[in-house]
Amino acid sequence: MDSLHAIGFFVSAALAGAGGLFLAFTDRHERRGVAMGLIALGMAGVYASLSAGFAAIVVLICYAGCALLLARPDYRTVEQAAGGLWRQAGAVGAAALLGALAYAAFRGNFAHATFNGGPFGAEWVGRLLFAHDAMATEAVGGLVLVALVGAAAAWRRERPRDEREGRR
Amino acid sequence: MTVTLVSVLFVAAGLTALGAFIAAWRRDLSAALTGLPVMFAGAGVAFVGVARFSAVSGAPLLGHEVAVLLAIAALSATGLGIGLAGREGSR
Repeated sequence: MDSLHAIGFFVSAALAGAGGLFLAFTDRHERRGVAMGLIALGMAGVYASLSAGFAAIVVLICYAGCALLLARPDYRTVEQAAGGLWRQAGAVGAAALLGALAYAAFRGNFAHATFNGGPFGAEWVGRLLFAHDAMATEAVGGLVLVALVGAAAAWRRERPRDEREGRR
Repeated sequence: MTVTLVSVLFVAAGLTALGAFIAAWRRDLSAALTGLPVMFAGAGVAFVGVARFSAVSGAPLLGHEVAVLLAIAALSATGLGIGLAGREGSR
């Protein structure tokens, strides 16, 4: 991997990380959309620098869709029932997860292989998706269908603003 | 400066842990839901990194395929979560 790809990888990874941190600490819907857009750009850059151009385009489209969904102004705020102690325990668990994954990445003894694919990889990914792993593709297609139907059915029912604030 | 599998896995670990942190820390469930695509992004980076640096057997570019499927699943999960959260009325 040459220096240009390496710089692209690290800059894109920093962009995705900054977007994730922004997403973690922002409250407004539009800003969540912007943060998810930053993650989309960072992820696409990381994939493109790792010679996964087709995956980069798909990720950019899918995460841009996520960003547009999150930027909508009219979905409800649903408060969690879990208390602050459980949230803090979850945050500590996330830190422990980071430590464990980083330790595994640092100490792991990985095989080294020469990459023979091209910079885009659409042909091989298409063969995998529609021939070798067609069942997985169909399963994800079913998942998308169920998610879209469920989301559309749930979205049709308009809930009053008072319900969110607990004043029924 | 070069990119190795270890640096890719560090990025993947960071994104996965960040997604778990968002899912655990946010009080608003629709905001906590946004941790899911971030965790999927971390998993996708790990798969693509292994396909790029360490795939010695099996189908070529399998990691790319899994990254594509994870991105589609992330979009579906976000759409379903926003739909289940529901539309806020004007009253």
